[in-house]
Amino acid sequence: MEPRFTAWFDSLRLSDRPSVGGKCANLGELVLAGIPVPNGFAVTVEAFEAFEDLNNLREQIRSGLIDQVDVTNSAALRGVHEEASGLIHAATMPDRLEQEIRAGYAELCRRSSRDDLPVAVRSSAVAEDGDASSFAGQQETYLWVVGADDVVTAIRDCWASLFTPQAVAYREKLDEDRRREATRISVAVQEMVNAKVSGVAFTVSPRTGDPSVVAVNASWGLGEAVVSGEVTPDEYWLTKVGPTLTSSTVSHKLQQCVPAVGGKGTHMVDVPEDLVDVACLDQALVIELAALAINVEKHYQSPQDIEWALAVDDDGDHRFMLLQSRPETTQVQARAAHKPPAAATSSYLSVLQDLGAANRGDKA
Amino acid sequence: MTTIDREPSTDSAAQARFPDPYEVETPEGAEGWKEMYPYYNHFLEVRRDRDSARTWFRNGMHFPEPMPPFDIATSDSAFQSTGVMNTRVFALPPALGIDVRVLNGYIYMSSLGVEDPVEVGRRAEEFAVRVGHYYKNWTDLYEKWQTKVRDRITGLDAIVIPELGEFEPIENVLAGRGVTTSNDLLVAYQAILASLDAVWNLHSEMLNMGYAAYLNFQTLCKQHFPEITDQTIAKMVSGIDVILFRPDDELKRLARLAIELGVEDTVCAHTDFAQLHTALAGSDCGRAWLDGWTESSEPWFHFSYGNGFYHHHRSWSDDPSFPLTGIRKYITRLQAGDSIDRPADAVAKERDEITAHYRDLIPTDEQAAFDDALGLSRLVFPYVENHNFFIEHWYMTIFWRKMRQLGELFVRFGFIAEVDDLFFLRRTEISEALADLQFSWCSGGEAIGPDYWPGIVEKRRGIHQSLIKWAAPPALGLAPSAIVEPMTMMLWGITDEQVEKWLAASTGDGKTLEGFAGAAGVAEGPARLVMSPNDLDDLVAGEILVAPITSPSWTPVFARISGAVSDIGGIMCHAAIVCREYGVPAVVGTSNATSLIRTGQRIRVDGNTGTVTILD
Repeated sequence: MEPRFTAWFDSLRLSDRPSVGGKCANLGELVLAGIPVPNGFAVTVEAFEAFEDLNNLREQIRSGLIDQVDVTNSAALRGVHEEASGLIHAATMPDRLEQEIRAGYAELCRRSSRDDLPVAVRSSAVAEDGDASSFAGQQETYLWVVGADDVVTAIRDCWASLFTPQAVAYREKLDEDRRREATRISVAVQEMVNAKVSGVAFTVSPRTGDPSVVAVNASWGLGEAVVSGEVTPDEYWLTKVGPTLTSSTVSHKLQQCVPAVGGKGTHMVDVPEDLVDVACLDQALVIELAALAINVEKHYQSPQDIEWALAVDDDGDHRFMLLQSRPETTQVQARAAHKPPAAATSSYLSVLQDLGAANRGDKA
Repeated sequence: MTTIDREPSTDSAAQARFPDPYEVETPEGAEGWKEMYPYYNHFLEVRRDRDSARTWFRNGMHFPEPMPPFDIATSDSAFQSTGVMNTRVFALPPALGIDVRVLNGYIYMSSLGVEDPVEVGRRAEEFAVRVGHYYKNWTDLYEKWQTKVRDRITGLDAIVIPELGEFEPIENVLAGRGVTTSNDLLVAYQAILASLDAVWNLHSEMLNMGYAAYLNFQTLCKQHFPEITDQTIAKMVSGIDVILFRPDDELKRLARLAIELGVEDTVCAHTDFAQLHTALAGSDCGRAWLDGWTESSEPWFHFSYGNGFYHHHRSWSDDPSFPLTGIRKYITRLQAGDSIDRPADAVAKERDEITAHYRDLIPTDEQAAFDDALGLSRLVFPYVENHNFFIEHWYMTIFWRKMRQLGELFVRFGFIAEVDDLFFLRRTEISEALADLQFSWCSGGEAIGPDYWPGIVEKRRGIHQSLIKWAAPPALGLAPSAIVEPMTMMLWGITDEQVEKWLAASTGDGKTLEGFAGAAGVAEGPARLVMSPNDLDDLVAGEILVAPITSPSWTPVFARISGAVSDIGGIMCHAAIVCREYGVPAVVGTSNATSLIRTGQRIRVDGNTGTVTILD
């Protein structure tokens, strides 16, 4: 049977991770859960492997480039990246793969009823280890990519990002199996949300690990400004009961990430003066977003770290889209370390706890 | 405002200080204030080393005003009772009772801790047995408790202050009684004091352990949910049918009854109850309404305008103008088609939803511990919420009434000019005056009191007036290392965090005050300072009430204010309970709102974060 080269998100489940990476598998899972995510498809690990096989790339890059350099020499590593990138961009794509990518893009355009639909092209790592995928150059994202030719190029860019100096140096420290795992990469091609506002949401408190808290960060424009830390976002804190907004801090937001003039790519611009100190979300929107985040958490049955975007159309209608969701584990550990009551207080509270349990026994 | 001194850094761990009680100056016009209070409440010069090294918190919650000399009896009774329960009855492991001093007329308190771990362990064993009995039999004990208190109230009411007429009553002589009404007078005074002491024992009998159970649940909630608000925890525990709301419910009942009987116009036309009584007594419907009033007023109108600790805190039954105003307002709202019911169903639904929600967020294997702690809290809570009506309101109304009867006797014999002058004598001085009165009545000679007391009373009234103007700091002496006693934390809101805030108060901009988030919501409006119940008359609808501490008997006022701020009080203080029920945003325990905020200033009360901002 011919390997699968592309797959629509709505056909994917978490179990598809080995073939489409964590990001795409999660997006499939979110669609299943009825959570709004931008439409799109995965270019599979098998597609990249077929591409490598057709051009004998694995051998060329491994023995021809990586094995020849001192991985502690960053200048040499930059050279490897350039040459590997050159090879990947010059290599021939399997015909069926290129046809499927172009057809997929055309289908996305048809579904949104517009030509030249802007899309985001993102790496989707297979490795379970979040640190690993980050160091191994599997977190590349190209925003506002327009036209089938550019989509194909961006996919090659994602593949080439496996060979950044940082990624190569990192992988050299791994054993053979994990190194192999860290070069298995899928790419997501996803409708671009023209976000008026975007940000992140945590379904557990980043301050204390309190599981009854939802924390939201929001800033004007596309999400890159928040994720990269270039803008101090507005902060909203909610309790899950309701959900109810408990506090909000409006920050001074000087910059935002928007589509570049000319329609391709993105760039940072100044936020219009009258919006700099305005809250990005009103109470109703924050609550709608928190409810969405709580649904995602319920679906996964674990606290989540979610990237989201808010699109507003010409009629003023709004819709939230989730761009990705990851399990949030660090804060659950933080909660366990929360300070216990003073020893003197414990001396009688422990007695009360026993008595409380004893009273339960009596009633039963 | 609090000032912070750092001790000279002779050692590396210099401890933060509040003002030294021995360095605080006497306000102008208050010279000689110490003679108004017993020696055991003084910061004695010979004890300087010991007393200035301790931490003293002002108890502005129960004693917001400077103490009139006799009224110290309520402080004695209250603090003795809470102390004996911790120290001797239940053997609370880490904490004994509370010492009390008076500075410039204001009550300061200092907790006594148990430091030695061996001693704490020994007490813990006693504690488990003693408190275990109470928790196990709580409902029965609470039933019995109500009977005990009702009996005390009946007993107090039955004490007769003898008239001391020209001759001993004839029936005593004909019965060959021998013992005279002169002796009855002495016995009556002693019986009143003994009754006060006893009823305060009853007050604390179940309260400290009630708070301990609540603290246990609160601690567990905060371990699971570090950011949970105190008011959310309170919502999970609070009862729905709280007796503190009953007096207000009676006003609503009387408003409906007036409309039903067609006497609403007459009721609304009178502000004076005596005149209303005359106007209604002539008709069947009018008499039916007056019967309804009588039914409601016993006991529900024994509801103090203040907190019951001061002789001048009268209750609705002493002065019916306030409940009458409340009835009038409810009639007006009923006529306008408004609903005046408390949203009891909504409150109950919210309580169940919140509880289920937080329970679901707890790991399955820890849910049983949550259920146990919550169960224990809910078991004790009817007592915690309801004892206040029985003691502070009902009993204390009758107590002050009885003491005023004694005052009338002294007025009649010329010892004092007016009844309330009696409370400017110390408790032991009243004993002396009684001996003087007995002596002169027995001998037929002249009492010395009329030449002795009026001057003293006049001088002390002057001192008291000067003390009222003094801004008492929230704490004195050395800052404490840790707060562990449940009453201190739950009732007075004195926690480690609060102490930090007080220590930091002098560095603030004077525009922002931090307190406890007492009831959710945000309100903005003009402030109205209410330093004593008499100031309530000036309050205009929409204003934000700013008071040392609010009283639940002001409940009808809560329908008209847009927010509430208090100097003192924790999340379970009675005002916070009422505010939550009525949906009025409240910040409690700000420590110095009444000294920073002036009537008429625009302020913002954020009951979500516990912040008050002065906007002007």
